[in-house]
Amino acid sequence: MSVEAAQPADFAQPSYLDSGHTIRSWLLTTDHKRIAMMFLASITFWFFIGGMAATLVRLSLATPDGLLQPDIFNRAFTMHGIIMVWLFLIPSIPATLGNFFVPIMIGAHDLAFPRLNLLSLYVFNLSGLVVLYAVLLGGVDTGWYFYTPYSTLYSNSYVFAAAMAIFINGYSSILTGLNFVVTVHKLRAPGMTWSRLPLFVWAIYAVSVVMLLATPALAMDMILLGADRIMGLGMFDPSRGGDPLLWQHMFWFYSHPAVYIMILPGMGVVSEVISCYSRRPIFGYGGMATSMMAIAVLGFFVWAHHMFTAGISIYSAVVFSLMSFVVGVPSAIKVFNWTVSLHKGSIIFDAPMIYAIGFILLFTIGGLTGLMLATLAVDIHVHDTYFVVAHFHYIMVGGAVSAFFAGLHYWWPKITGRLYPEAVARFTALLTFVGFNVTFFPQFVLGYLGMPRRYYAYPPQWQSWNVLSSAGASILAVAYALPLFYLGWSLLYGKRAGPNPWGATGLEWTTPSPPPEHNFAVTPVVTLGPYSYDPEDGSYRTQDGTHYAL
Amino acid sequence: MAVSLSLDLPVGAVVKLNLEVDARKAGPALFVIAWAFLLVLTGISIWTAFLGLGSWAAVLEYGIAAVQTGILFTFFMRLKGPPSVKWVFAGSGFFWLSVLIGYSFLDYATRSGWPWHG
Amino acid sequence: MPSEYTVEPHIQYASLEHQGDSAQDCMWVFLATETVFFGAIIFTYFLYRVFYSAEFDVAGKDAVFWCGSVNIGILLTSSLTMVLAVNSGAQGRRRAMIWWLIATMALGFIFMAVKGYEYYQDFTDRVVPAVNFLMKPEEAPAGELFWDFYWIATALHAIHLTIGLALIAYVLLWRIRRGEITPEYYQPLEVIAIYWSFVDTVWLFLYPSIYLLGRS
Repeated sequence: MSVEAAQPADFAQPSYLDSGHTIRSWLLTTDHKRIAMMFLASITFWFFIGGMAATLVRLSLATPDGLLQPDIFNRAFTMHGIIMVWLFLIPSIPATLGNFFVPIMIGAHDLAFPRLNLLSLYVFNLSGLVVLYAVLLGGVDTGWYFYTPYSTLYSNSYVFAAAMAIFINGYSSILTGLNFVVTVHKLRAPGMTWSRLPLFVWAIYAVSVVMLLATPALAMDMILLGADRIMGLGMFDPSRGGDPLLWQHMFWFYSHPAVYIMILPGMGVVSEVISCYSRRPIFGYGGMATSMMAIAVLGFFVWAHHMFTAGISIYSAVVFSLMSFVVGVPSAIKVFNWTVSLHKGSIIFDAPMIYAIGFILLFTIGGLTGLMLATLAVDIHVHDTYFVVAHFHYIMVGGAVSAFFAGLHYWWPKITGRLYPEAVARFTALLTFVGFNVTFFPQFVLGYLGMPRRYYAYPPQWQSWNVLSSAGASILAVAYALPLFYLGWSLLYGKRAGPNPWGATGLEWTTPSPPPEHNFAVTPVVTLGPYSYDPEDGSYRTQDGTHYAL
Repeated sequence: MAVSLSLDLPVGAVVKLNLEVDARKAGPALFVIAWAFLLVLTGISIWTAFLGLGSWAAVLEYGIAAVQTGILFTFFMRLKGPPSVKWVFAGSGFFWLSVLIGYSFLDYATRSGWPWHG
Repeated sequence: MPSEYTVEPHIQYASLEHQGDSAQDCMWVFLATETVFFGAIIFTYFLYRVFYSAEFDVAGKDAVFWCGSVNIGILLTSSLTMVLAVNSGAQGRRRAMIWWLIATMALGFIFMAVKGYEYYQDFTDRVVPAVNFLMKPEEAPAGELFWDFYWIATALHAIHLTIGLALIAYVLLWRIRRGEITPEYYQPLEVIAIYWSFVDTVWLFLYPSIYLLGRS
């Protein structure tokens, strides 16, 4: 399905990988594509560090008495949470695929503020260094929530360092979000109206709004935590008039929208992949875009559902529970629309599509169990059990990580100019799906049976479920390690890709693979909406109007 | 926007006041007047603090601060002008802040046993 | 005197005006995040003030009223000098621009000096939690929270003001000296002015919180 691009002038320029070969040209680059690649390197590193922490946890939980010392166990799950949330999931799609593709998809030559983009990378890596510092000194044992007063008064671990690392990390998010919002507002090519934006761009825009408005509350909360801990203030100490729940209110005001930061970009990727690999436009574009903005906004109104058993008033709990149901509606709309998009499509079961369909299935399970958790009566029973752990891993791992791999594979030829080996990739995608379910489905059962989370030991009658979960984790570990090898292999030996190996319709597929430094020699003029696939005769049109027969 | 005001002063002079906000066309008059107004408002705010109004003083003082913010944003930070998305950006921070504050107070106001005394 | 200086927009922008508008939008988006940032600590203050009003009233009596009031006057005046600097720059009056910027910096430094004196006064009044704090019986135990808020919020504000001073110094010594702020493109200065007025706005809310509430 390789076709010639409509912009021959682009092919005369060197690709972004070839324009400058010195280390300096990478470390001081302002090219959003190079910055995206450096982010990719960082988050991959952190994914495996966070994965090692998870390995320690699951190994320890294979026996009822635990393999690790309790204190070490606490540090392991805390570092797993901190690293996976802030150093992997939050930046994963926005800072890599978003950075790379948002400018190209809207027809721009770069982001609005390339130097802020570079700053965001360095701030991110600085936060990573501070986390490494905290880990090497001995880690934190408070759980990634840093609940007070344990974290301020009693914890004997490096809380201040970790809090400062997260504070710094927040500014990386804010800079990224800033860039995307102004870019989408101001740098769209002629003819690229809001209603012609690919859904991936809508997703990144929605994510950026959330990043910008939620992160500062966390930043302030971390400052108060740090000051309280270092100076011995009493802001969260009841004996001195403080309220421990104040920490939780401000923390969850950020952290609940944060989970939407982690899932929205994945939803954008899935829309791109579903339409391309079923050769049909996405059903209900307007509903899809609106529902993403609705998730972003409504996500700010539900935070205290993390605090139902913490001591908040029952009246506010009822309101938060109701809002938590409401926020499920736009997500459900998206699942329905994706499903309808598949109907009567010519489905191609390549790796990105397997990951995307896996996303829909696993996100749905995660989402439905979220509604169970939003129900006050049920939550009293399963709060702080493995039911919650399974719920959010279904969304974060089954959903967000699957979507990340879907996008990585889908756009791999564009980013690297090489095709990955499809058979191995399909196998890996299926292995991921199997390994994931074997790991996390037993945790729903365990949670319902009453096994608390964050405990290093448990009654022996639950061992078989725990062993099953740990066995699944080993399958998952293999499935996540495999792409390192075959994607790495493809960089050297993979078949060279043309500009549009999948026959997709976005502007990014009109540029060479990989694209030149400034994306387009001439600013494109957009005449069509996204996803102009014609299901009748299999032809498609890219957004600049060029028609391609099958 | 340029406003011409004719003042018949005793010596018969005519004074034109330039009330442009755009930097390329603005004169000092608008901003000096706004600044004077801001200082007067501060004075009023201080005065209300000593009137013995109890907790109503807070409403007045923050209200005055909000008005002062409006003046600063509209004129000094030049939000006034052709309709643009800057208004949305400027207002969004305050809106989400009100969600944080108001919605948290929903819990604090209805919680029994808070604050702990003794 | 600077030689002829022509500015080209960066490659992703169609024109200088496009670039300038985007820079302003960027600053406004950033200020939205700063609103939530400072707002979060003012929320904390509100919360404790509402539930501990008696203790906060007692604690607040020790705030140095004249320092806070002088400082709000200084900051409001600095917003005026700042906007006059931008106007001068946009209209090509280079010397006026430079002098108004120096005036703004001077006012900023005076603010810091008054604040520094106030901090010294607070130290001798023994209202520095964890360092030198004397709890009065009428304000125990929550009155200390007022001072926690005071020190953290005013310190953060002072840091933001210092960043503002650094930005003005940067634009004076780097951009203006090389003649890069002209009527054709003065947006870097405009953007810094917007930031500066925002720092002023934060003080507009900190001032009643610290110095006015509870005095009646």
